[in-house]
Amino acid sequence: MTTTAIPTGEKRATAPTTKRRTKRERQGAAWVFLSPWVLGASVLTLLPMAVSLYLSFTDYNLFDPPHWVGLRNYTQMFTEDPRYWRSVTTTLMYVVIAVPLQLALALVVALALKSMKRGKAFYRSAFYAPSLLGASMSIALVWRAVFNDGGTVDNLFGTGGWVNRPGWALLAVALLTVWQFGAPMVIFLAGLQQIPAELYEAAAVDGAGTWRQFLSVTVPMLSPVLFFNLVLQTIQAFQVFTPAFAVSAGKGGPADSTLVYTMYLYDRGFVASHMGYASAMAWVLLLVIGVVTAVLFRTSRSWVFYASEGDR
Amino acid sequence: MPGHRTKGFCASAVALALCVLAAGCGGSGESVGGGKAVLRYTWWGNPDRAERTEQAVALFEKQHPNVQVQTSFSGYDAYKQKLAVQATGGDAPDVMQLDYRQIDQYASGGVLLDLAKQKAVLRTSEIDSGLLATGRVDGTQYAIPQGRGTETVVYDVKTWKASGVPLPAQGWTWNDWAQAVRALKKKTGEPGATDPGQSEDAFEVWLRGQGKALYTKEGGLGFTAADLTRWWTFTDRLRREGAVSPAEQTTQLDGSVENTPLGRGKAVSDTNWDAPSSGYLAIIPTGIALAPMPSGSDGTPGQYFKPSMFLGVSAHTGHAEAAAQLVDFLLNDQDAAKILGATRGIPVNETIRRETAPLLKDFDKTVADYQASLEGTLKDPPQAPPSGDNALQTTFQRDYDQVSYERMTPREAAENYVTEAKAELRS
Repeated sequence: MTTTAIPTGEKRATAPTTKRRTKRERQGAAWVFLSPWVLGASVLTLLPMAVSLYLSFTDYNLFDPPHWVGLRNYTQMFTEDPRYWRSVTTTLMYVVIAVPLQLALALVVALALKSMKRGKAFYRSAFYAPSLLGASMSIALVWRAVFNDGGTVDNLFGTGGWVNRPGWALLAVALLTVWQFGAPMVIFLAGLQQIPAELYEAAAVDGAGTWRQFLSVTVPMLSPVLFFNLVLQTIQAFQVFTPAFAVSAGKGGPADSTLVYTMYLYDRGFVASHMGYASAMAWVLLLVIGVVTAVLFRTSRSWVFYASEGDR
Repeated sequence: MPGHRTKGFCASAVALALCVLAAGCGGSGESVGGGKAVLRYTWWGNPDRAERTEQAVALFEKQHPNVQVQTSFSGYDAYKQKLAVQATGGDAPDVMQLDYRQIDQYASGGVLLDLAKQKAVLRTSEIDSGLLATGRVDGTQYAIPQGRGTETVVYDVKTWKASGVPLPAQGWTWNDWAQAVRALKKKTGEPGATDPGQSEDAFEVWLRGQGKALYTKEGGLGFTAADLTRWWTFTDRLRREGAVSPAEQTTQLDGSVENTPLGRGKAVSDTNWDAPSSGYLAIIPTGIALAPMPSGSDGTPGQYFKPSMFLGVSAHTGHAEAAAQLVDFLLNDQDAAKILGATRGIPVNETIRRETAPLLKDFDKTVADYQASLEGTLKDPPQAPPSGDNALQTTFQRDYDQVSYERMTPREAAENYVTEAKAELRS
């Protein structure tokens, strides 16, 4: 598309009367370019959210028209549904296991990569690959096979299949997430490279060893990045679905040990067709994630250090 | 004039954006493949059933050159979930296989087509009227039964015979069955059976053997927590003794024969429906046999003949007539019947059943003979289960997991189940 429109800058110099129109024109142009996103966001995100909020106060079962039931879904969830609470504790356990492990591994690998002289680009890509593949169902299914009876882990360690033992199955799911540490690793790496070398030199002059340098220079300088990763991965961990679904073959078993929140939500919505109840669950999850994020932000004041704050 | 151009640009940009969005949600049913009407036909089953279905569908396409049929199948558990998602999205397959449990919900939910509208091409005159009525909801024929099935104890003949344990006999009781699986464990070292504790179907047979039922006439729960406690105590004790499969095996059951302990060579027998048991043959080439389900201690039979599955047509199909023709073909066509045999249970079309009975061979004959041996000895089937049963089947398995992994006592789990079931049936 070729246009011969006069650049607006020149127009502005002509007369003040056209100024307003050009502003409107420019706004118009902005809206045109924004329109795909605006349409997408409203039709595919905002509208469904509003509908699900409405449905959470109904007994919608996917087949019949919904009836208003007020807070019944919410009260049932908190007072009459033992499996709901089991899914909550399972999810919390998963978050507590998966997030710290994943971040620790990402940081360790990022530190190793930073000190590499050659082949950095290759290893960075290699470590990042699982994150690209890991979200896919196929890898999750391979994971199930690896940890199943007679699978790789069983043969190597003789531990039996993990996915059929209530104590171990959730760990198999968590490990699948931990293994996808690529995204936080890349962000850590970028953060590490931002740290000025003279800080390390100064620390070394003061007689700080490697460990001391890590604690006194790297950790505080990296804390904003660490915080960013922590918030992001925590939010994601609360919403884990695919690994749990695939590793448990869609059942959340054995004995509900991998029945994470979203799995139970899916089960209520699509297997038992209680869409109203599932919508209520989804909104509770949103609120909980909001609260957890707020708490993380609140605590961040005491441990996240921004270089711009100057000396403390 | 630049202004004009901008307007044109606006319009085309918006149109483009709309196109991109609209592409994400195509219509359903109105698919056209090279000028042909394309029908989607889905079912659950085993590879054996799939192979024969493909052959029958190919024949249908030959007879109707203007129709193309896309088929897909999976194990029962996965099928149940997938179909629910499709149906609720208004994207149900044109022709779908349905279970007795789903009829009520799908029909009242407007997912299924009133088949009376397609009378011209879909003949039902050859089907027993009592059987045909099982596909009616509120007086409307929404689905047609496709076969008649009953439950069975299916076992690995060679292993069982070699063990020296007496073979199952007509009229054996649950007590006899328990003695047999214990003896099998002792003689073969393998569990004698899949743990039936996780199966709502097996529990129903056990209940009916005592003159009780899963559901009342009004669609409420027909048994108490005490009943279920007794059943789970019975199966749990056998599990602890190793006479039935351990929890790690039982938890992997998903409705496919490949994932049963018998299919993995980790048990001597299993409880299943008769027709799908053909799937074991591919895994146990030395042969399997079908025995009746155990009856109550006074000889009351618990098993019954039920429509093993139904065929329904989507209310939103774009090709109602072609879909109805496919259903008719699968039920009433002589050649199709020869191909399909008894893979979906014994055919419902009376004429075809009479004519194909002598032609049945291999496992189809085994199923036919098994059903013939039970003819006249069983009690009437219960009415179609209430729609909540679809979800409760899964809940039943999950609650038993808590028992077999020893996280709850049979009593705790049973009380849990009854609470959940009552809530489910209320909603």
